[in-house]
Amino acid sequence: MTTYILRRLLTVIPTLLGVLLAVFLMVRLAPGDPAQLLAGEFATPETLADIRQRFGLDQPWYTQLGLYTLNVFRGDLGESVRTRKPVTYELSQYFPNTLRLTLGAMLVALLIGIPAGIIAAIRPGTIFDLLAMLGALIGVSMPVFWFGLMAILIFSVQLGWFPVAGTGTLRHLILPAITLGIGTAAILARMTRSAMLEVLSQDYIRTARAKGVAGRVVIFKHALRNALIPVVTIAGLQFGGLLEGAVITETVFAWPGIGQLLVGSILARDYPVVQGAVLLIAVAFILINLIVDLLYGAIDPRIRYD
Amino acid sequence: MRIRFWLTLGLALLLSWALAQPRTLIIAQGTDPTSLDAPLATDSPSGTVVSHVVETLFEYTPDGKIVPLLVERYSFSSDRKTLTLFLRKGIKFHDGTDFNAEAVKFNLERLISPELASSFAFLLRGRVSAFEVVDSHTLRLRMPEPFAPVLAHLSHGSTGIQSPAAIRRLGAGYRDNPVGTGPYKFDRWQKGQFVELVRNEEYWGKKPAIERLRFLAVPEATTRMALVETGQAHVAVRVPPQDVQRLSARPEIEVVTTPSVRTIFFYFNQAKKPFDDVRVRKAINHAINKEEIVKFVLGGFGRASDAPISPGIFGYTKIGSYEYNPNLARQLLAQAGYNAQNPLRFTLHSPNGRYLQDIRVAEAVQSQLRAVGVQAQIQTLEWGAYLAASNQPRERNEFQMAMLGWGTVTGDADYGLFGLFHSSQHAPNGFNRGFYSNPRLDRILEQARVATNPQARQQLYRTAMQIIYNDAPWAFLHSEQQVTAIRREVQGFIVHPIERLIATQASFRTASER
Repeated sequence: MTTYILRRLLTVIPTLLGVLLAVFLMVRLAPGDPAQLLAGEFATPETLADIRQRFGLDQPWYTQLGLYTLNVFRGDLGESVRTRKPVTYELSQYFPNTLRLTLGAMLVALLIGIPAGIIAAIRPGTIFDLLAMLGALIGVSMPVFWFGLMAILIFSVQLGWFPVAGTGTLRHLILPAITLGIGTAAILARMTRSAMLEVLSQDYIRTARAKGVAGRVVIFKHALRNALIPVVTIAGLQFGGLLEGAVITETVFAWPGIGQLLVGSILARDYPVVQGAVLLIAVAFILINLIVDLLYGAIDPRIRYD
Repeated sequence: MRIRFWLTLGLALLLSWALAQPRTLIIAQGTDPTSLDAPLATDSPSGTVVSHVVETLFEYTPDGKIVPLLVERYSFSSDRKTLTLFLRKGIKFHDGTDFNAEAVKFNLERLISPELASSFAFLLRGRVSAFEVVDSHTLRLRMPEPFAPVLAHLSHGSTGIQSPAAIRRLGAGYRDNPVGTGPYKFDRWQKGQFVELVRNEEYWGKKPAIERLRFLAVPEATTRMALVETGQAHVAVRVPPQDVQRLSARPEIEVVTTPSVRTIFFYFNQAKKPFDDVRVRKAINHAINKEEIVKFVLGGFGRASDAPISPGIFGYTKIGSYEYNPNLARQLLAQAGYNAQNPLRFTLHSPNGRYLQDIRVAEAVQSQLRAVGVQAQIQTLEWGAYLAASNQPRERNEFQMAMLGWGTVTGDADYGLFGLFHSSQHAPNGFNRGFYSNPRLDRILEQARVATNPQARQQLYRTAMQIIYNDAPWAFLHSEQQVTAIRREVQGFIVHPIERLIATQASFRTASER
């Protein structure tokens, strides 16, 4: 198990190098340069030269890449062109908020998605199934942007139950978490339903029922646990997706997360921050995948890691 | 016993009343500041926050005057090449250190230093050759040649005077912790969320009425409006045109419009056909209906241009406006050799999302041009790419007719005209991106820079703008208006034409005043 984890962690290094190279080239291939955007309409040639020199943008790209890679392994992600603060500092200010929002959204997704899927599966074809799947269809198709604004208009402006925007308390988290989590809840509901339906038709479920095991025990102990593997896989993938997908939710709710930082930095061609943020998301994604893989073993004792 | 009861009750009531009085004014801006170090605060949200903490030597008042602020008085030498500043005495920075001539010298030299790489270094770089400390509160600025707009430039936020001790002590950390002489002190900055300022109880001037200011970062306009509607913010910037009516209808909210010094225009690339021909440039000007664009595209929140700069700027006078006349436009085009068989065709460049309704304005212009037989194709680029493309040198510049905006943020015509129309300022050296050139205009703009007498300068700018009008290097459009939602319990809140919000004179009305 330990060797497995170590081996997995070692494979992270080439992946990260690949991500680093891809992002580095991508931001530089986009037209427009950070000095120009920083100076805006007011740019004079001296100003542009000053800024380029200050941030090493006057060096050839391969020199920049080499320096950057070296620094990354020393834990230095460079300096933001816009704010002129270390990128690690910027990320440390924004990432915890994104993590909170994503965890909140995941909780919403799990609490709504899995029960809805179970109910739909144990009563297939009934009104419960129909309602759950209709809800899931709406949940998947609803644009996040629209849903967020509607939530603000109804629950904050009209009813006054929640603050409009910002962070700080649990009440601040509720609307953004639901907005971000509702799509994933819908996917999980559909996933849980189909996995459960498949498991419920298995022989051992019939056996369990035949020998008189209580209905609830059959559902939760015998069926759900076996149906969970695909659900956990999807949930893990979705979690990574939520990290990146938080951009729109963060914008609507003025939530100071990594998504907002990333969008602002891309628009300003703040290369160091874009690179740093993408690297961080990549690391998070890899870690989540690792955790998901390890969870398989906990859910299904037949799975071994050697 | 009884007395104690009433006393307690009275105290409790008093306390609850005191608590009910808001002490923090909450302002929802579009984005989080990028830097709170004055020379690096290039965007409006940063500039607004900094202007409450850090003061400049001169002030550009909302009604368009340049008046002394940290300076008590000043004098020019007879050759106008030396400016002596007599600073106010007894002022301290928020960290307790003294405001004096050394501090001013430190800040102004810092602004122009290449190491700082401030976008606003050009305000003084090359204009001032030496800063000499005469005594503790007297500073002399030596200029290689007279430069009339120098006072206006010293009113620009980037020339703000900050504590040298704090800058030295905090290093890079200063950017999140500004120390000035202003009516508010920096308190804290929750990145991406808000900046909070607290009243400077030792302020040398009139102390503000409101104890705390909080500047929220809310990028989504609908969310910003919801904040004011629910009272979770008192002020919200940039009300979208479609929300104006709804918000105005609410008794607790006032929607305030303020002119902006930002002028929006299309420039013509005169280095190339077809816009090297003045008849074509005039034809386009006559084909565009500016009033209609302001009314229908901007929802009335703009002002059709009648000069290259907007009112409220020193040197502005009404020059005139190309009358909307499609027939005349067609005639001019025919003279230039364009007709139904050989229509004028070109690409119209416009940013999307940089200026108020920018792409909609471009679309309106496109359809108005179509009415006189001109086929313009709109192309839009993301802002970063757009700036880079428009700033290419003559040989490589592909733009033909392109929209840009310019804010004359110093309040002096020199800033709004020299960089945009003088032939030494052709891209990429300056902002003359259409490669316009007129030697007579060059001379007048140079004279206006060194002229001593304000009336004479006014007159020179009038002549200059007349020449510009006749040469039509631009298709003139409009100046923008800032639309701000302010809750009625707030009074005295100012929106400055240079796109700054000023809360120093604001206060909360009591319930009975509302």
